[in-house]
Amino acid sequence: MSAAATALRMRGISKTFPGVKALSNVNLTVEFGRVHAIVGENGAGKSTLMKVLSGTYLPTTGTTEIAGVEVRMRKPADAQKLGVRMVHQELNLVPDLTVAENVYLGRMPRKWGLADKAAMVRDTEVILNELGAAIDPKARLGDLSISQQQLVEIAKAYAAKPRIIVLDEPTSSLSEHETAALFRILRKMKQEGIAIIYISHRLKEVLEIADDVTILRDGSMIDTRPADGITAAEMIRLMVGREVTNVFPKTPSDIGAPVLKVIGLGDGYNFRDVSFEVRSGEILGLTGLVGAGRTELARAIFGLARATEGRIEIGGKAVTIKSPAAAMRAGIAYVPEDRKDDGIVPSLSVRENISLPVLRKLSRFGRVSMSADRKLADRYTKEFSIVPPDPERRISLLSGGNQQKAVISKWLSASPSVLILDEPTRGVDVGAKAEIHRIIGELVAGGMAVVMISSELPEVLGVCDRVVVMRDGHAAAPVERAALSEERIMALATGEEAA
Amino acid sequence: MTPIARLVRYRVAVILGLTLLVASLTVPGFLSVTTLSLGLDRSAAIGIIAIGMTVLLIARQIDLSVGSTFALAGITAVMLQPAIGIWPAALAGVLAGAAAGAFNGLLSVVFKVNALVATLATMLIFRSVAHWLTDSQPVPGTDIMLSLALSKIYLEIFTLRSALFVGAILLLHFWLTRTVAGRNLFAVGSNADAAEASGIAPGRTVFLAFVFAGTLAGVAGVLQSLTTNTGSPVFGAELIVTVIAAVVVGGTRIEGGRGSALGTLGGVLTIAALTTAMEFQSVPAYIQQVVAGLILILLVVLDRTVRHGPRTHAAAGASG
Amino acid sequence: MTDVPMQMQQDTTNERFRGGSPLVDLLSRGGLAIAILAVLIYGSLASPVFFTAGNFVNVLTSMAIVGIVVVGMTFVLVVGGLADLSVPATIACGAILSLALQPVIGPVPAFAAAIALAGFCGLMSGLLIGYIGINPIIATLGVGTIVLGIVQAAVGGVIVYGTNPDTAALVKSRVFGIPTIVLIFLAVAVVGHFVLSRSYWGRWTVATGGNYSAAEASAVPVRAVKAGAFVITALCSGLSGALLGLTLQSARPLVGTGYEFSAITAVVVGGISIMGGFGSVPRAIAGLVFVQLLTNVMVLQGVRTPVQGFVLGLLIAGAVALDVALRRRGGA
Repeated sequence: MSAAATALRMRGISKTFPGVKALSNVNLTVEFGRVHAIVGENGAGKSTLMKVLSGTYLPTTGTTEIAGVEVRMRKPADAQKLGVRMVHQELNLVPDLTVAENVYLGRMPRKWGLADKAAMVRDTEVILNELGAAIDPKARLGDLSISQQQLVEIAKAYAAKPRIIVLDEPTSSLSEHETAALFRILRKMKQEGIAIIYISHRLKEVLEIADDVTILRDGSMIDTRPADGITAAEMIRLMVGREVTNVFPKTPSDIGAPVLKVIGLGDGYNFRDVSFEVRSGEILGLTGLVGAGRTELARAIFGLARATEGRIEIGGKAVTIKSPAAAMRAGIAYVPEDRKDDGIVPSLSVRENISLPVLRKLSRFGRVSMSADRKLADRYTKEFSIVPPDPERRISLLSGGNQQKAVISKWLSASPSVLILDEPTRGVDVGAKAEIHRIIGELVAGGMAVVMISSELPEVLGVCDRVVVMRDGHAAAPVERAALSEERIMALATGEEAA
Repeated sequence: MTPIARLVRYRVAVILGLTLLVASLTVPGFLSVTTLSLGLDRSAAIGIIAIGMTVLLIARQIDLSVGSTFALAGITAVMLQPAIGIWPAALAGVLAGAAAGAFNGLLSVVFKVNALVATLATMLIFRSVAHWLTDSQPVPGTDIMLSLALSKIYLEIFTLRSALFVGAILLLHFWLTRTVAGRNLFAVGSNADAAEASGIAPGRTVFLAFVFAGTLAGVAGVLQSLTTNTGSPVFGAELIVTVIAAVVVGGTRIEGGRGSALGTLGGVLTIAALTTAMEFQSVPAYIQQVVAGLILILLVVLDRTVRHGPRTHAAAGASG
Repeated sequence: MTDVPMQMQQDTTNERFRGGSPLVDLLSRGGLAIAILAVLIYGSLASPVFFTAGNFVNVLTSMAIVGIVVVGMTFVLVVGGLADLSVPATIACGAILSLALQPVIGPVPAFAAAIALAGFCGLMSGLLIGYIGINPIIATLGVGTIVLGIVQAAVGGVIVYGTNPDTAALVKSRVFGIPTIVLIFLAVAVVGHFVLSRSYWGRWTVATGGNYSAAEASAVPVRAVKAGAFVITALCSGLSGALLGLTLQSARPLVGTGYEFSAITAVVVGGISIMGGFGSVPRAIAGLVFVQLLTNVMVLQGVRTPVQGFVLGLLIAGAVALDVALRRRGGA
């Protein structure tokens, strides 16, 4: 470990892509033994800055010093040699190797010139124990759950004995308990003198763990401050450059008769004996820790996965749903969690994406009516103010928020009576978020029943009429909005309060 | 692990055992040393190529041009005999195979052409060069006696090339499971981005895998030419199906990241046993094809459908 | 979340022809047209025979058989099905059965039965690929081997000869100077183009190839769509084989060898990615036209067959490498 207290000093970093200036003149100083948070809206330049630090991008201008020595990193391996380790938001692990082999990937210990598997397993076990993770080092990585894989990713970075460790949204797939464990680990690393860069959207966590906070906006550095002297509201103000008063406006609507009724539904593995109902004009929140079975439940209701027990009723009549097409006929629509993987077809235009579920209805003798197709796309582009307002634009060229609006439009074109939204605002910026909430508000005002899955408790509390909390595949009874608080939801989700 | 899952996992051994059992019951003298030796020798060419293909498939690549490389290397080895002598010519043949592999690697790694398309193109290119060089005529070698020497049987069962095949596949098994480079190969095939982020160079790994596959196709081609004392531009035209079938029957996944050398050995032996047994019974070639095709499909379907227990959406996504 | 604006983080495998410099744009859009034009000009200057109606009819006739397969293969590539390697088997199925069944059930039913059986083989591949999730290369290789074996076994493994000369005459006849076989090819191409670009099935095909899980979550019957592409290809190659059999009035088991590669070559030279998600029948046929014209010029110039193969091989590799390079520049 270097004697210098300054682990990292980046000066005047700019990065230009053809036509876009992603970073302009950013300065960042990180001390050893401190947690330095970087916050900013999507597109503020956080990931680009970290890609410069990890050697993925060469900056257009600017210098980087590590422990007082100026360095030039051209590829990730350079940064790793200098003791910089990334914990990526998208998991960077190899599913077909074992946990131990993943932890030592790229730097496996050798004995007689061969991979020393015994040493890897032994050392991995030690590290995983230190991290408090009960994972078998010899297990095939692809057989682990996502949150276990996330812990392996952290173990991998830690095992490399880094000088600087960068965590990009490390808690996005962790439960509250696991997050607490992670924070214990981070504090331990801090004591060992490791410099920690912590990127997160979750400001509450930032305030809890960080010593310093740097705020980025539009590729520029706005400020670096000690975490003690800043509040979440102030961070938001600096991030967006304006005061945000009510993040989650709630439009009142008339709640009518039950539309969707789920009775004792289970798939024998991810969720069991789940019962709830959603009424027209109502937003039902479905929350819980990641891995509680929310997404699997939603996918089963929509026919993307198979339920093995229980039944589903729509408008009082039992329905059998074996495919998304059947769900659509029953009036159920589902906006999936992972927009890039399950939401959009990137090679198609906005118009072609929007009409996908109803294509057959727009067709005669197999031929798609272009005029009906265009009319539909025009309507939603206007109604949801999709930017740019050009339905012929390839959907992959739109921003995340606008893509999400297009995905929601896609399902409204099927005129469902129940809309299930899975993390609809994850990864979209504050402005688009408010707009998506407004759209949802309008839909329930029009009598639709909405099930909203969200991990973001302020969002759940702000938008939903009633909330079902899931834990380990079981659903608690719905709780009225008035009786809810973040603390109460967490208590239900972690099992501190019995359902 | 349930008994069924275990059966599926060691399906190659099961199928090989069944094939040998049925063959020994129906074909008189099938289990004799002579028959086994013959079968092993005949499968050596396929087997040596399959070694290279195993490595490529694990790296999530494929080489359709191995049959053409096989012919080209053999022709080089025979045509250069009068000029530089038998052994230097043989070496030149192997090098021609390596060069062919390097060309595939170049297309795939540097020019980023999908391996399927790239090797589809080079399959045509190498085959054309083979015809070009020979004027589409078989070329005779200079030493007829050499082919007899190469067919000599050692230890009652091995010929030079079948010994080479078995030795090489054991080495490959050791390399894949024990060496760092072998483990890195799996990493590249399973998740190239993660491998790269961990400091492994996927491009280099893939390039070397292509060179390796080309070299082994070259070795097989040279041995074939020396054994038959002929270099022919039509050699190996139908090889590719058998090679891929043998490797895939052995449990190596065409989507990369999973595979084993011993599995490939099992796959090659299964196909060799089947072919030999059916030929002894005078089963027409087209029926042999049907049987081989059915086994391939059956094993792959088994692999896809029998999984242990239900999975979460996320885990299924991560491994799929 | 990534901070790079959306324009930069698109999936480059799907991103084409947008952005980038005008030159790159022009090259990637019009490259094929320019190449075809160049071959036409060179051919006309180099050979007096090249730019004649007779020669063009020859070119059209020789591309008709493989062209029908190209139409089907386009669906396979667009749907993300990599390639159909069972084409030689389904062509043989069409050719052998259309001739072998003639004495038994008459020429027209034999023709129809041959195509239907080929389609059934495609259904088998399609079920394995779409519903069980077998890799298309393995599935079509396996099914192809089995089908070829069964067809040979059915006719005893020998060459089959035609018994009805009238059918040969019909296939070889001309309408307004254009061979019937060319007209059939054009009809198949027009129908294929309509289905892929205008029908809901075509849109489903593109969506399934572009993003399988998103298409599935949009109530697209992805399994059926994927399987369908292989059925379409098998029907096309069955038709192709039946026409080939009637033209030759004889059919060997290996009659279809090489057609799968010619078809894939055409589609790939036409600029359609093997990763799926976009593409059209006219593009694939433009690729075919280019390859056929180039071959024709080489034949007229007396270029030896191996050299032709060499040039074609380099051409496929070069075309795809160029396409990849342009796409990367265009996408960034």
